[in-house]
Amino acid sequence: MNKRDHEIVFKHTGYRREDFSVCLGCKICASVCTVNDLTLNVNPQELLMKLFVGEKIEEDHPLVRYCTSCYRCTAACPWQIRIPEVVRAVKESLGMESRFEKAFKRSLDIWGRVYEPFVVAMTALDLLKGGYIKYMPKWMGYAGFHLPHKVKRLKPSNASKGSNPSEEGRS
Amino acid sequence: MMEYGYYPGCSLTGSAKRLDQGVRQLCKKLGHSLTEIPDWNCCGALEYGDRNELVSISGENLEKARGMCKEIVVPCPACYKNLKDADPDRSFNILSPLELLSTGNLSQIEQKRDLKGQVFFPYYGCLLMRPEENSIKNRNIMEDVISVFGGDVDGEKMKDRCCGGNQLFLNKWATEKLSTLILGKTKGTVVVFCPFCHMAMQTFAVGRKVIYLTDLLLYVMGENKSL
Repeated sequence: MNKRDHEIVFKHTGYRREDFSVCLGCKICASVCTVNDLTLNVNPQELLMKLFVGEKIEEDHPLVRYCTSCYRCTAACPWQIRIPEVVRAVKESLGMESRFEKAFKRSLDIWGRVYEPFVVAMTALDLLKGGYIKYMPKWMGYAGFHLPHKVKRLKPSNASKGSNPSEEGRS
Repeated sequence: MMEYGYYPGCSLTGSAKRLDQGVRQLCKKLGHSLTEIPDWNCCGALEYGDRNELVSISGENLEKARGMCKEIVVPCPACYKNLKDADPDRSFNILSPLELLSTGNLSQIEQKRDLKGQVFFPYYGCLLMRPEENSIKNRNIMEDVISVFGGDVDGEKMKDRCCGGNQLFLNKWATEKLSTLILGKTKGTVVVFCPFCHMAMQTFAVGRKVIYLTDLLLYVMGENKSL
């Protein structure tokens, strides 16, 4: 992840570099982080510092791979920094999105909504290989058939949209 | 009797249809009318790294609701968070169906059954509780509901821990570990309000029922035959 990627993370999250200078290094985010329940020893504060000083973030960073967007870090942080949104932006800039996440966005581009059968079809191979079939009996209650409904969008989808990031940062 | 706008969100048209039907039925019972926002689109869930893009996608729904309603009922916690994030000036009142409940209006409903002798684990998960500025107002509402009808409550310390639901199709071992941790430290029927939590808990619970709070309320009102 290079310097330009760092700028993209700031642009995408609405945070400015100096917003991370207030981090006190208290590591309370690490003490409540759900990823640490997976015994992966992550420290979200270290990720903020890397962005602040412009250091490289490695592609296989466990926080980037496993963050569950639980916002426990945000709730505990003295500055309420929305670390999951920073992690999400880092994940995208590193191109780490899975086929599942891509199918989700593709569905939104096509219909304006997530059509679950489409997402399942696009990720069928992963579901088969990943051993999800054994859960099918438990998932019967989720099954049901409906056709996709294409909605009218007020704004063009991302593919055709020009970038117009907020210059103001966050309050 | 109140009139609300309604934003079901994508999963409530599919895998969480049960929650959609429950919310509609419950609101009818409480005397509220729900009018779906015409042509609502996906809120973007947790899938967008670009906050501007996410707010724009979610905010489109508020544009579609403008002039139609000021109060919008949003059952899915991810949609609830995103719609609130898209409305920093609070020009709309975005409400979880949980915020339509109070011990006051529950005591007025026609009760056909009680929950005496049954243990429940009210499980909120993350996005109804955090970030704090978006949290539901009464953070004990599910406990209140269960207690009003005579049920026993368990698992206070685990109620806002993360089940890892959004990792289920990415790293299922992580979801399994996180959900199992929560299930292992609690007992009784798991009562949820989030489609992610429902799926994670349902997938990894062994010998435990997982229900939506709407299922429980409709049971008490005599609509659902069993829990």
